[in-house]
Parts: sequence; C-alpha cells; structure tokens
Amino acid sequence: MRPLTDQEMKIVLDKLANYMTDLKSLIAPLEDGDRYVFRMQKDRVYYVKLSIANIATCVARDKLLSLGTCLGKMTKSGKFRLHITALPILAQNARYKIWVKDNGAQPFLYGSNIVKAHVGRWTEDCPEHSGCVVYNMADIPLGFGVTARSTAEARRLDPTGIVCFRQADCGEYLRDEDTLFTGA
Amino acid sequence: MGKTRTIKNKHAEPSKKKAKKAGDGGVKKTKDRAGSKSKAKVPAIEVKGKPNLGQDKKKQKRVYSEKELGIPQLNTVTPVGVTKPKGKKKGKVFVDDRESMNTILAMVEAEKQGQIESKIMRARQLEEIREARRIEAEKKEAERKALLENTKEQLRKKRKKNKKGGDQKSSEDEGPSLKELTSTGSKAVKSKKKKKVSFATPE
Repeated sequence: MRPLTDQEMKIVLDKLANYMTDLKSLIAPLEDGDRYVFRMQKDRVYYVKLSIANIATCVARDKLLSLGTCLGKMTKSGKFRLHITALPILAQNARYKIWVKDNGAQPFLYGSNIVKAHVGRWTEDCPEHSGCVVYNMADIPLGFGVTARSTAEARRLDPTGIVCFRQADCGEYLRDEDTLFTGA
Repeated sequence: MGKTRTIKNKHAEPSKKKAKKAGDGGVKKTKDRAGSKSKAKVPAIEVKGKPNLGQDKKKQKRVYSEKELGIPQLNTVTPVGVTKPKGKKKGKVFVDDRESMNTILAMVEAEKQGQIESKIMRARQLEEIREARRIEAEKKEAERKALLENTKEQLRKKRKKNKKGGDQKSSEDEGPSLKELTSTGSKAVKSKKKKKVSFATPE
C-alpha cells in the first residue's frame, strides 16, 4: 500500500471530476482532526481515512486485500477505471443526474443502457458524453454512466433511443462479486 | 527476506562493482578520459628534467567532451533514457500532503470546468444552427406550397375563363350544341338574343 504519485493523483481526480462537482470536499479535514487520503494497493485505488491507512501499514502488502472504499483500478495503459464501489462517493456531489422510472430500473441493474422511455427526469443543460449518476425515482443511486445525447437532443429522440451509456450499476455487486474487491 | 533484499539492491550494488572491476571496460567514458589524462601526464613526469615543457603541452592530445563532438544522443555510450539526474531521490515521488493535493485538485477542477463550459457552448451553438436550419426548411416548404396553390388557382381561373369564352362563341354562331346541353343542362345556357314571335296580321 502506498500513496499515489503526482501523475496518478491527477488521473484519478480527473476521472472523478467527470461525475462530481465539489472535489475539495473529498480531502477536507474531518471534525475529529482526521482526513481522507488516497492509497494504492496493487492496482486498486482506495479512499480511506488516514488513521486507518496508518494502522494498515502493519499488514504485509501481499496479505492486505482491501481497506476503506475501493474507488477503482489503474489499468496497465495508465488509465483509471471507476468501480461501482465508488458510487456512494460520486452520488454525494453528482454533477449530472438521471432518474429512471421503476420500469427502467431492472433493465439498468441487469447491465443495459438507459433508453429514453425509461427516463423519469434528468438534469437540464447536460452536454453529451459527460458522466452522470443514475438514481431511481426514490433518489436511491443505482449506478453511473455517460450521457449519449445532450438534454436538448434527447428531447427529440424516439422512446427506444439510448440516452445514457452504462458504466457501472449495482448489479455488479452480484455479477462481478469475485473480482470486484480483489484482482483476479 | 534475504532474497528480496538482494533484489532491492540489485541496481545499486552491481553498478559499483562493475565500476570498480571493469575500470577500463569502456562502460563510462569519463573513466577513459581520466585514463587518457593520466597516460598523457606520465611522459611529462618521465621527462622531468627537460626544460621544454611547452613542447609536451603541444603533444598532449586534446580531449573532446561529448558535447563538443556533437554525437547524436542515441549513439552515445549511456543512452538518453538511462541517465538519471544526480542528487535526486530515487523512485516515485508521492503526493500525500494537503497543499500539493489541493493544488492538483484546483488544477483538475479548473480544467474540467473549462472543458464542460466549452462543451455546453458548442452544444448550444449547434442547437441554434439546427433550429435556424429547421425554420429555414419550414419556410421553404411553406413557400413551395403557396406557389403550388397559386398555380392551381390560376389554372382554375383560366379554365373558367375558357369555358365562358367558348359558350359565348357557340351561342353567337350556332347556338348550344347537343353535347353541351347534355353536360350543362338546357337552363345553364341562356342566349342574349330575345326570341320574337311575329304573327301575320289578318286583313
């Protein structure tokens, strides 16, 4: 387990900024004087309290499976891929939101993209190809994705047209249970 | 543990050993240069007694530095990528303090904000263009329809005029033909000439 380098930190924050607005709140000091930090274990990036990260240093690298919240993993080509486990953090300060109707929740959780017919409402002035967090109508985050069309374009779209490309959904907790937290 | 230690120091130790063992191996040019210098100095020591030091200096071969030679960097003994800056810490530089994290955060946020704004602006411009195009197309369609209606109307009027003109002619010349009478009816056509009936007066 190690802190992130300058380059890695930039890549991670860049990805998070696609979905979130207020990044500074991520590293703001907590009431008890503690703060959250980013740590890398193998190829996974974790968002963890500094006190817990310090305690975890006594665990051998190969024995440490996971700590804190896993944000995602660094690919071998140097990109960062967000995992569904990062959803609670993204949902706190989501930049763009899409609410899906009850009839659209199941298809989304089974791994399909969101079609216009399933959208209950969405954030105004949302450009295309920008990250958005997907909620159900009861404001429970279900996953996140990338918008396929801007809001204005999506209005003219037919009901079967894709509005949002899925990136991760809560169904992955079951589907990718074995590889989600630890590398295969 | 022992193995891992040797692996860790793999980069550090053998290089030292190599440098010591293979001094004239030609690994580093600086060593060679130093050797050549020492060789050049040796005759100077031997001919210590002679006063012509200036001649010896002339004999000394000038040693060119790599910069002076202008050798392409990839052709040098130590390739470009291998050389590491001296006095710098080996390995990765981590970001863990809040200040540096904050600076990176600010940079990333500003960059992203700019990107999104430009995206929105572009989308709006495209939308405006699309709207203008749509309005123009609608206008053209309306114009075309109006023109079509106009020509239709004109044609209708022409036909009516023709009909009227034809009737007048027929009545003047021969009176209504049988065909016309069947199509339009006998009442539709009225001749302007009044029919007069004259009776022979009895004497």
